[in-house]
Amino acid sequence: MNKSRLHITLLGLGLLLAGSPLLQSCAVPQPAPDLLAPTEAQMKIRSLQTRTFDLTDRNAAIRGVIASLQDLGFIIERANEGLGLVTAARFAEPNYYDVVTITVTVRQETADKMSFRANAIYNNKPIEDPKVYQNFFAALQRALFLSQESTPSP
Amino acid sequence: MAGKGRAFATIVALAFLSGCIAHTEPAELFALTPDIPKNRAMQTRMFETPNERELLSASAAVLQDLGFQVEESQRQVGFLRATKERSAREYGQYIRQVLVLILSLGKLMQPVDLHQKIAASLIARPLNAEATRQEVRIMFYRVVWQGDGQVDNQYIPPGEQHMEMIRDPEIYQQFFAKLSKAVFLEAHRI
Repeated sequence: MNKSRLHITLLGLGLLLAGSPLLQSCAVPQPAPDLLAPTEAQMKIRSLQTRTFDLTDRNAAIRGVIASLQDLGFIIERANEGLGLVTAARFAEPNYYDVVTITVTVRQETADKMSFRANAIYNNKPIEDPKVYQNFFAALQRALFLSQESTPSP
Repeated sequence: MAGKGRAFATIVALAFLSGCIAHTEPAELFALTPDIPKNRAMQTRMFETPNERELLSASAAVLQDLGFQVEESQRQVGFLRATKERSAREYGQYIRQVLVLILSLGKLMQPVDLHQKIAASLIARPLNAEATRQEVRIMFYRVVWQGDGQVDNQYIPPGEQHMEMIRDPEIYQQFFAKLSKAVFLEAHRI
């Protein structure tokens, strides 16, 4: 009688011990309160992704973005003149399972300054490699100032 | 002996599968490569006309003639995107599937292509400040959905997709021939 009660108590204790880590794993992790707060890394990324050029014609700026993306072999998926938004994608050839997507927004900062912000994504991971953005802005500069560059600079 | 055969089949299957997966560095995808000018020449034509709007609407009409549905358009930046969905079944793939199945002693059933979505992205833009010359650039690409398959005991569910650019010059020539007929203008190569 006493022995069986001891057994039940031990069994209960065992179940409790086994169950507690299980319960813990079920608990939903709470998001940190600073989840949406800007971090230093984000600021750095943003500065990598943003470039300002001396331009006045907004439409020409958007067309320049489209031309540069096409030159890099990207497919234009969406373009919105009103918002200054261009989204393009490219298959990571030669393998056909990976996709690079880029969104560029064009904003007029002052009357003669245009700011370009680019966000690139590889599959579903944001690209944080500065080289990617340098390459893109080099292509953009080529597309925007092709006519100026053809004249020899002093 | 049976275990050995099984291991061999798995290795063969893995070799088949991994053969197509080699990751590209994202940085490379933003650099200019030697084949870019060639593709650009294939995808681009120049028209001597000040009328960008006419060129764009004629492009939409040609795409419709080719069986595409226009999905998105933005006149201000001269942008059109159109798609068409078709079957992607090919006899060759079914024959290969059966051959591989026999050669791998029933261990490997390669998925075949079932369905595809062909898409075209088109941009018309003025080439000079007076906008008397326009450039039209079109890119064709497709997304293919595959059926189910089997590797040893592992079932490959259907629906896996792969994407590719269409690089057949004839398709581009056909499109531009139709477009130049539609606008009564000669399409100049760049």
